[in-house]
Amino acid sequence: MLVLRDLQKKYTRFRLGYLWTLLEPLGMSLVLWLVFSVLLGARALGLQPYLLFLSVAILPWWWFATAIGSATRIWRRTGAQLRISTLPTQLWVMRAMLVALIEFIFSLPVIVLAIALTGFLPGPLIVLFPVGILVQFLLMYGLALLIASASVVFPDVARLVRIVIRAMFYLSPVLYSVSNIPAGAQFLASFNPLVGVLGLYRIGWWPEEASSFIGYGISLGLCIAIFILGLVTFKKFEQRILKEV
Amino acid sequence: MARIAIDPTLDAVMEFTNVSLRMPRHRRRRGGGRRQQIRRMAGEVRRDEIEVLTDISFRIEPGESVAVVGPKGPGRQALLRLAAGTLRPDSGTVRRNQPVVPMIEVARAFARMYTIRQNIYIVGGLLGMTPQQIEGKLPAIAERAGVSNMLGRYLNAAPPVMRQKLAWTIAMSVNADAYAIDQTLVVGDRPFRQEAWTQVDELRKQGATFLVSSDSPKQFRRFCDRALYIADGRLVADTSVPEALAAMRAARQAARKADEAGNGE
Repeated sequence: MLVLRDLQKKYTRFRLGYLWTLLEPLGMSLVLWLVFSVLLGARALGLQPYLLFLSVAILPWWWFATAIGSATRIWRRTGAQLRISTLPTQLWVMRAMLVALIEFIFSLPVIVLAIALTGFLPGPLIVLFPVGILVQFLLMYGLALLIASASVVFPDVARLVRIVIRAMFYLSPVLYSVSNIPAGAQFLASFNPLVGVLGLYRIGWWPEEASSFIGYGISLGLCIAIFILGLVTFKKFEQRILKEV
Repeated sequence: MARIAIDPTLDAVMEFTNVSLRMPRHRRRRGGGRRQQIRRMAGEVRRDEIEVLTDISFRIEPGESVAVVGPKGPGRQALLRLAAGTLRPDSGTVRRNQPVVPMIEVARAFARMYTIRQNIYIVGGLLGMTPQQIEGKLPAIAERAGVSNMLGRYLNAAPPVMRQKLAWTIAMSVNADAYAIDQTLVVGDRPFRQEAWTQVDELRKQGATFLVSSDSPKQFRRFCDRALYIADGRLVADTSVPEALAAMRAARQAARKADEAGNGE
């Protein structure tokens, strides 16, 4: 365990460009804000102030997309290390996810900046923000375990995942709010685990986002389900992974 | 959660009981071979597994040095990985009473984006040393591997042979009493190789246990008390070294004869 924590430090130290973890999501928020709010004037999209609304979701989204993307390549990078170590195999996935989590936490100042720019302070429900982080972490860990197992049997998973992530970006309420979805589709949307997670982040600023409790229930339940499914699947595939890498 | 638990009550260093292991056939051919891929899609080639070890049982007592010999094939390396506990058998049990250092392809675990010093920490850690231990041994390791003056440089600065040396030196400085050594790790120039084997000898005198996979008869005639002759995944013989060597020579000659007979037709 000591070892991994050590590795962790190194990984973060290696990211000399700490600024980039700030600039990347910030830039993305700004671009999207310009396009959707200023140029298209889509006032109906999402909630005000839109810049803050966007960046609160973009950061977790960024975290999600990069970490899941890295899960597809995990054995290519760490395979040789796996071969000489007797540590539990899961730790390698955990390590990749922890690195991503740390990066995410380092990128949080972007939200602070957005608050400063818009002057829109959160309400008491902001306490749910850390809960959102926790749930998202569980979701991502489960997903990463699933993808890591699958990528051993079926290397094409990496490409597939990339497409799915792209699609998820538009299917999740990053650019818009759940209330923008037609009533009929709202129920369907609750089967997207990210809907619940993003809701938890936004609830501090926009309590009206929490309109449908059942929806959030399903969505967050799915996160936990994926987490458990990931643990079970990985256990089943562990031997296969050890042989293939 | 560890791959193979360590059982201190066991009176042998390791004990294999009816161990079988299958490995995927095309292991290293990742990505390459479009034609192979197309064929596979068409169902012509099945991505099957072959049994590299079949029903193997043996025990290794403390202080023994055992050679793993036999025709080239994936079986021997798999055996070492099982012994070191980085792989689990498909059936049967492997039991160990202490950590066994896996000296197999250690150099591959180096990471290019890190400096040599960081790599020593990473690989040393993976092999089971704590950061404090590594810190204490760092100068000695660097000196032995000949990298003292380039610790702060990136791994790329070290030529491959030097990396191999470094890998060996790190693995050797782990405080363990049992090692599973793949001969491919013993490389480098002649003096270094000799020194490496001298180190093995010293550790042996201190009572360390070794499992060595090697093609070079010279080495195990010198070091090993016992040989496991493995052919086609089966443990053909568990004998003394000279006998195993004789069996190996006989098998090689038989193979050559079969080849000649085949060519003659």
